[in-house]
Amino acid sequence: MSVGVIAVGAYAPEYRIEAAEFEAAWDSFDPPGIETTAVPDADEDALTMGWEAANSALDAGDTTAESVDWLAFATTTPPSEEEDLTARLGSMLGVSTDATRRLFTGSTRAGTQALDAALTAAPECGLVVVSDCPRGEPHDAREHAAGAGAAAFLVGPDARVTLVESATHTEAYPGTRFRERGSDTLDGIDAGTYDRNAFTRPLAAAVGAVATDGLDAAAVQMPDGKQPYRAASAMGVETATVRAAETVSTLGDTGAASVPLGVATAFDNGGERVLAASWGSGAGADAMVFERDGELPVSLALGGDTSLDYAAYLRLRGEITADEPDGGGAYVSVPTWRRSLPQRHRLVAGRCPDCGTYAFPPEGACRGCDSLVAFEDVPLAGTGTVEAKTEIGSGGAPPEFERLQSESGAFGVAIVAFDTPDDETVSSPTMVVGDATVGDEVETVQRVIYTQEGVTRYGFKVATR
Amino acid sequence: MTDAYLVGAGQSAYGSFPDESYRSLFATAYEHTIDSVPDGIDPDRIDEAVVGTLGVGGRQLGLAGPAVTEHVGLHGVPTTRVENACAASGYAVRQAVQAVKSGMADVVLAGGVEIMTDASGDAVRYWLGVSGETEWERLSGTTFSGVYAQMASAHMREHGTTAEQLSHVAVKNHANGAKNPKAQLGFECTLDDAMNAPTVADPLTLYHCCPTTDGAAAALVVSEDVVEEFTDDPIRIAGVGASSDRVGLFQRDTYSGVPASKRAADEAYAMADRSVDDLDFAEVHDCFAIAELMAYEDLGLCARGEAGRYIESGATRLDGAMPVNTSGGLKAKGHPIGATGAGQVVEAYKQLSGQAGDRQLDDPTVGLTHNVGGSGGAAVVHVFEREQEVDG
Repeated sequence: MSVGVIAVGAYAPEYRIEAAEFEAAWDSFDPPGIETTAVPDADEDALTMGWEAANSALDAGDTTAESVDWLAFATTTPPSEEEDLTARLGSMLGVSTDATRRLFTGSTRAGTQALDAALTAAPECGLVVVSDCPRGEPHDAREHAAGAGAAAFLVGPDARVTLVESATHTEAYPGTRFRERGSDTLDGIDAGTYDRNAFTRPLAAAVGAVATDGLDAAAVQMPDGKQPYRAASAMGVETATVRAAETVSTLGDTGAASVPLGVATAFDNGGERVLAASWGSGAGADAMVFERDGELPVSLALGGDTSLDYAAYLRLRGEITADEPDGGGAYVSVPTWRRSLPQRHRLVAGRCPDCGTYAFPPEGACRGCDSLVAFEDVPLAGTGTVEAKTEIGSGGAPPEFERLQSESGAFGVAIVAFDTPDDETVSSPTMVVGDATVGDEVETVQRVIYTQEGVTRYGFKVATR
Repeated sequence: MTDAYLVGAGQSAYGSFPDESYRSLFATAYEHTIDSVPDGIDPDRIDEAVVGTLGVGGRQLGLAGPAVTEHVGLHGVPTTRVENACAASGYAVRQAVQAVKSGMADVVLAGGVEIMTDASGDAVRYWLGVSGETEWERLSGTTFSGVYAQMASAHMREHGTTAEQLSHVAVKNHANGAKNPKAQLGFECTLDDAMNAPTVADPLTLYHCCPTTDGAAAALVVSEDVVEEFTDDPIRIAGVGASSDRVGLFQRDTYSGVPASKRAADEAYAMADRSVDDLDFAEVHDCFAIAELMAYEDLGLCARGEAGRYIESGATRLDGAMPVNTSGGLKAKGHPIGATGAGQVVEAYKQLSGQAGDRQLDDPTVGLTHNVGGSGGAAVVHVFEREQEVDG
């Protein structure tokens, strides 16, 4: 069979805020068709969410990151405006340093563009990671609609899902959705009919160029819960078909991940012929028709159920919180941090070649025999047990974590005994995501540790299994 | 090899002193130290000085030793700064003993100083915890309150230690601190106060944590050859023990004890040819309540795992069988990092020379000081013994 999608993974953050919370705060909730939106934790961003989805796809496809020879990352909300984020994503996942990398950004079409690029490149083992968490000003409907989520696709030969037809259309429609240079928040001119035309016409043109008969689902760009349905008739697609792939009502506007999440949902629901119709401001649209022939492994984790009130939401968004204070003290330079990336990203421990004792990080004299040895690298699975635990309350954290604590409150810190391939463990201190107590079994997740000198440091934390 | 003797010790008040500098605080401690020598001492007799300080807030980091000894007029005296976190001046005293025992010096001033309260709250938090393992421990989100809280969680799980037992440490040490005019927090507290204080790092509440403190302390260590010039009631530094360990708690074999403390204590007892049963009191490193409980076990005051029940029994109160932290400890007396170890020696000197005022024990002859750096990366223990006359 030809190159196509081998497996799919998806992730959405645990936190949800209901539309009613915005309504209570602002007297109205303008984005139609949204019941809740997904809200990233204070230490989550597009990269960490992408890591989650990528791991789900790799697990679903029973594939390891070492096999990946082509990696793409797509987002409109890159943690850094300039920097190749596939470098760190690849490091977190353990993708070969020789793998081809592609970064797609600047448009909510970035997700479908990345998927199209992968299918065109026809890699032996491609991994397309699409992750997004758009934002707006607190008063703005774009913020009230803003959600978060990520989807990832394994692409390779002998696929069960293949692209049977595609088309694209672009024409100039400036101003409908944009983010000025240096800004974190979306803006738009809100020009009624102009905006509607800018959304509907490119979609109708692109979709009009592919066959839409027999669709089980149509994943259409979902900035809110109304625009995709309004565009449906212009595209010649039933609204029920659009509904079969919608995620906006529960996750909100997931930007570049909107259509990829819809495609993932459609296949998870058993869809066999699925349309992906993405739209990006500017404006343009991509239409891709996929057909499934056989089972497609899909692993979705989209079901967060921790509700936020509006005050907690504002804290988590960093709207009313403190930044890291000025001052000196403990300082871990970027080069020092980089040396620890195999441990931070992939939990690479060391095994003493003389006595077999594990070391983490693998440096210095062996704890078992006190010899200065060259440790053998042993990547750990990331599972372990909490040995000691504290909850750091207000004022108890180093100032480097002032922003985190201001946004998300008290946090747990544990010493975890990580499992090794042998009958022993090796311990590391780590922050806890959610709750855990001594004796709990946990596994690692990738999160933002902190940002210093403008450089965000990512590394593992643990969450209960 | 000559014996080493403690012939004087003194300290500044511990507290928050925005009108004082690290130099002026050290000068106060130095003056009290000189004045404490029973038969007097001419500062010209001082051959060597060792000064412990961390330099919290980023003040004089280089040449901090000469900066204070020159300030007090010890012009030209070779001075070494010791940095071993909270054990800095405990190690300074040990180095003084080494200098005397080696024969290179007859009179050595060992002291320490720290100013911690004049920086902004943010800056202080930056500096607290710089002695922990930085790359992993600190970047997991902890300063020392968090690391000791993890130790408490392990002790509780392994031995059934309770928050109430931790709180007894605060109650006892505040009761003692209320009798010490030099104490920073010289007031009593109730079990309810300690139990219900705000949580700093679960399970540790505010009353389970020592304060940040300005202060200085010093001691004079002399050789057997000259001790009779300064006192007729010599206090022999009978035992000295010290040990290091991995700086990060997670790198150690146990989280519910401080192996370096045990090794240091064993060495000190052996050198002194004494056992824990010979002690009349101990000044232990109670930076957090759990630290005092772990010290009971590491020093052998009680069996492993029994510290919670031991403090509940009242044994370590001023009127107990083994009074601990008669000064109020780090908890109530205060914890000016670089001065703390020397400050413990000041209390030992006061108790053994009968000058401890309202907290004076009944004729003690053997006492111990125990000073820990970080969460156990360094520890030093001294055993002091009052003699009726100089041996040998």
